[in-house]
Amino acid sequence: MKNKSVIATVLAAGLCSAAAMQSAMAGESKTKPIPGIPSNSLELFGGKQVVHEWAVALFYYIMLDRRINWMFREFGNPERQIFLNTQLETMVLGGPNEYQGASMAAAHADLNINMEQFNAVVEAAYNACERVNIHYWTCNQLIAALAPFTDDIVTR
Amino acid sequence: MTSNEQGAATAALVRTGLRGAAILAAGLLFSSNAAAGFYNDGKVLLTGGVVTIDGAGGGGITPWATISGYGTRDGINGGLHYTYAYLPNYSLNSYGGTVGFYDRVELSYTRSTLPTGSTFDTVGLVADILPGVVGDTGIQPFNTTIEMDVFGAKVRLFGDAVYTSDSLIPQVAIGGFYKDNKNKELLHTLQAAKAKDWEAYVAITKVYFPISTLVSITGRYTAANQTGLTGFGYKDRTAGGDGGSDKKKELRLEVSIATLVAKNTAFGAEYAQHGDFLDGVGVNLNGLGTAGILSAVADLDLDSLGLVSTKNLEKALTQHEDDWYDLFFAYAPNKRISFVVAYAMLGNITLTPDQHGFYLSTHLTF
Repeated sequence: MKNKSVIATVLAAGLCSAAAMQSAMAGESKTKPIPGIPSNSLELFGGKQVVHEWAVALFYYIMLDRRINWMFREFGNPERQIFLNTQLETMVLGGPNEYQGASMAAAHADLNINMEQFNAVVEAAYNACERVNIHYWTCNQLIAALAPFTDDIVTR
Repeated sequence: MTSNEQGAATAALVRTGLRGAAILAAGLLFSSNAAAGFYNDGKVLLTGGVVTIDGAGGGGITPWATISGYGTRDGINGGLHYTYAYLPNYSLNSYGGTVGFYDRVELSYTRSTLPTGSTFDTVGLVADILPGVVGDTGIQPFNTTIEMDVFGAKVRLFGDAVYTSDSLIPQVAIGGFYKDNKNKELLHTLQAAKAKDWEAYVAITKVYFPISTLVSITGRYTAANQTGLTGFGYKDRTAGGDGGSDKKKELRLEVSIATLVAKNTAFGAEYAQHGDFLDGVGVNLNGLGTAGILSAVADLDLDSLGLVSTKNLEKALTQHEDDWYDLFFAYAPNKRISFVVAYAMLGNITLTPDQHGFYLSTHLTF
């Protein structure tokens, strides 16, 4: 019984430290658009589940766009991207920071992305908002919150 | 010519034709390659703005700091524009082209044609019936037309109007126009100082995504009367010219505010401050000013016949200028074409008051 208790304590400590480590390794933090986005932006968006649905739609449109789909096919794993995007977008909309990916700068450093390709993703983002019936003005809260990453992503 | 000579000539023609075809094909290949290398339409819908009546990228009457067209910093994009404004006494037709280079430089050309309807009929009639008024007043018996060429250039200095949402730094551009008004005789009649002049501007533009709103502020350094359609500055052209002249440029404020209601639709309002060089100024008929004209008309003794009211005539010969306002609705179904429908409130234009009416504009982008 005593041994079980020790094991449980070690496991708990390990989980805690893993969680702390994960938090410390989270590659991005919430952006600060001006003027600020409403504190209930995530709720307006429909919550994390709708963010996930939006991310699925986003990659549907990305993978149909010949300007950028080859890049995601070559360098990205769409399922992993959807997972990470759901975390990132949830976070920038005011949700918890559970983002497990690399920073935007690190993740895009070697991709040599130009402004047209970045804009193509923005167009896909708007298309995805329409697809999951997010109001344009609510969609702009997300665009406002993601826009500060532009210079980290566009390196060409 | 012998058959041999004919054969040689035919062969030479064929060779020349083939060489020409080869040069043409090479040229086409080069130009298509070049186009593939330079051409770019990578901006997001509507972020290049529409085109002003002066031909610059911006709103309807106010240039923005954005570079016209859909070219990003990686290429060139251009377009053609046509604007039609239907006002009680005027119909403005403005058409031309713009080219944006690497989201940095914009060049534009626009020809404005302004049929003035009945605006100058009274002045023209007075000029025709007064003895001693000779020479060209620039006024036709019907529908006097003003034409003006506008050459424009703009350079984006710094900033990104669209994506720097966490910074207060806007997109800033400087630009200028060279305007050449073709109806010099009419401008003499209206007592403008110049028919050709330049103007410069600084434009500051930013999109605030959290409130889905674009704000643009422009300071324009100019001496234009009615954007130059009635010349630049004031010069007393009546006998003696005692009224002096004033053609010193001044800084005028212009503002655009647009609410983005969908990714392809915006509506908003604009304001453009105008000058008062010709506000309250009468006309000049070959050296005869308003007082002289009224006196000459009185001498004709038409008033007693009930044909002419000199009181109204004085009003009809006096120019006024007001600031411009408009409410606009812009719609871009795709990157190839956009439409603007606006209601323009331009107030007094030269001799005619209450010049409010609809404005339609289209911009074709390549």
